[in-house]
Amino acid sequence: MRVALFWMLAVASIVSGWRVFRTDSMVRAAYWLMASFVAVGIIMVQLDAEFLGLVLILMMAGEMTIMAVFMVMFMMNPAGLNPMMMVHQHRASIVAGVLAFVGLAGVGIFARFPEPTLRASGQVTAQLGHELLGDSMLIFETAGVALLATMIGALAIAGATGRFGSADEGSQEPGEA
Amino acid sequence: MSREVLLVLGAALFGIGVYGALSQQSFVMIMMGLELMVNGAIVAAVTLWSRAAAHSPKGQLLAVVFMTVMAVEAAIGFALVTNVFRIRRADITEKLKALRG
Amino acid sequence: MISYGRLLGELATIALVLLAGVYATVVIDLWAGRMVARAPVRAFRALTFPIRQTALFLLQQRATTERPDAPLWALAPALLAAIAAASLLVIPFSSQTSAAGIESGIVYFGALMALVMIAVYLNGWSANSVFPIIGGYRFIAEALSYEMPLALVLIGAALPAQSLSVSAIVISQDSLWNVIRQPLGLPIYLIAGLGVAFWGPLALPDAADLAGGTESELSGVQLLLWRTARIAVLVAVAAMGAAVFLGGWTGPWLPGAVWMTLKTIALIFIMVGAGHLVARVRLERFVLVAWTVLIPLALLDVFAAGAVVLAGSPR
Repeated sequence: MRVALFWMLAVASIVSGWRVFRTDSMVRAAYWLMASFVAVGIIMVQLDAEFLGLVLILMMAGEMTIMAVFMVMFMMNPAGLNPMMMVHQHRASIVAGVLAFVGLAGVGIFARFPEPTLRASGQVTAQLGHELLGDSMLIFETAGVALLATMIGALAIAGATGRFGSADEGSQEPGEA
Repeated sequence: MSREVLLVLGAALFGIGVYGALSQQSFVMIMMGLELMVNGAIVAAVTLWSRAAAHSPKGQLLAVVFMTVMAVEAAIGFALVTNVFRIRRADITEKLKALRG
Repeated sequence: MISYGRLLGELATIALVLLAGVYATVVIDLWAGRMVARAPVRAFRALTFPIRQTALFLLQQRATTERPDAPLWALAPALLAAIAAASLLVIPFSSQTSAAGIESGIVYFGALMALVMIAVYLNGWSANSVFPIIGGYRFIAEALSYEMPLALVLIGAALPAQSLSVSAIVISQDSLWNVIRQPLGLPIYLIAGLGVAFWGPLALPDAADLAGGTESELSGVQLLLWRTARIAVLVAVAAMGAAVFLGGWTGPWLPGAVWMTLKTIALIFIMVGAGHLVARVRLERFVLVAWTVLIPLALLDVFAAGAVVLAGSPR
């Protein structure tokens, strides 16, 4: 039962990841990506990384909605009323994607990884908590400071008014004088 | 649910992400490709923790770092996309031709 | 993994509990509205009001818009109802019911509340019409604002239990309920809960100033399903609040399930009463208050709870 569920989720995540780039409606593209992330999150819960899987779903719910909002802002065709496929260097990117897949899958199948010594025992979440705030506090703090810097940086970059006036001044199409 | 199957799943997600990041013209679709790539990386990281090092929680920290990277890259990416649109009215990569040739 | 039979039984129980909760909420809403308006309430008509409303909706003519996104539009109320049902899976109604195998019930609940944003946005977007889209966008702003205080306050409640599992939190309130130990917790939770179910003062996506917002293009069965799903989310939020802040199934003489029901109904009373007594707030004001007031207060709640736990533990 667990294995059947895993296979369904794995296939669902790959298919919905593929559909992201094949669908015409942009909101649907964002939510196909969300479906891929939800499937991966549930797989992570099955792999005993329960906290991480649920946090992934929580994060991605907000992020994919923001992506849908940005899609609607920037694409001329957000609702998929006209079929479109805006790609460049299509063949090269297919080749690159296939090469990446073959390379990484080859490493995954043929490399010798250490064999599992013990299954995750007892309270995985509690152990993760002790680890995050104990031995790996530096990683935790760095991530926190990086996120803070990101917030400040994003606001500084995208702010509507800056030190030298409104951000819209001087906005022109490329190629115009 | 062996380790090999999971790593192939991660590789597949990464491959689709590479295709998307390289082929799409719209900025936000490129970012969706990047998100898929990090998704594949997270699957691989959690797989290796669960199947090779499950006795210690340190392996999950790699996945935590990847999720932080995903959030950081999405936030700064969107800010840059907004700024580029403000300055150059460009919503697809083809419109940014100033340095070409 | 648990067996199919038990899973079906659990789902059927949850569906029944949610339907009963939705029925009770509609009756309470009617009664509260009549009380606030100082109008007479006749018991039989009030108790059969949901049945008459349902019949009215079922007989209404279905109308649709031009080029809607039909699959996503149908998905929206289903997703909302699924979120309400899924969140009840981790809430213990008595000391015998165990969690569905999820160790971090609080994070699971937080993830589900984040998915509510997707459901409402889809409902607004799929109609391909102006007012629903505006309603959907307003809800995104509202949802991003209430998400952080909600998560922080639930974490604050999890600290005395030293576990993220809801059952453990209920058991840790044996001595003293969290509403008394952490006074900031329940008010912030109720405000965020009103936002999750977009009810009363925070009913922004379906507001009357948007001609009904995301509901404006719904009619008939679809409108019935949407409103039922939304009230189901309210019931689920109240049940979680009762478990985490009011002590869940702990209580003196009555059996656990009865206490849980009474506490859930008490929270539904408070939230529905707020819906009738407080006017709908403006989105900009709510966002400002949520980010500048509620988050610091929630952080204060977490720090205070942590300090209490550290002071009490033998070190």
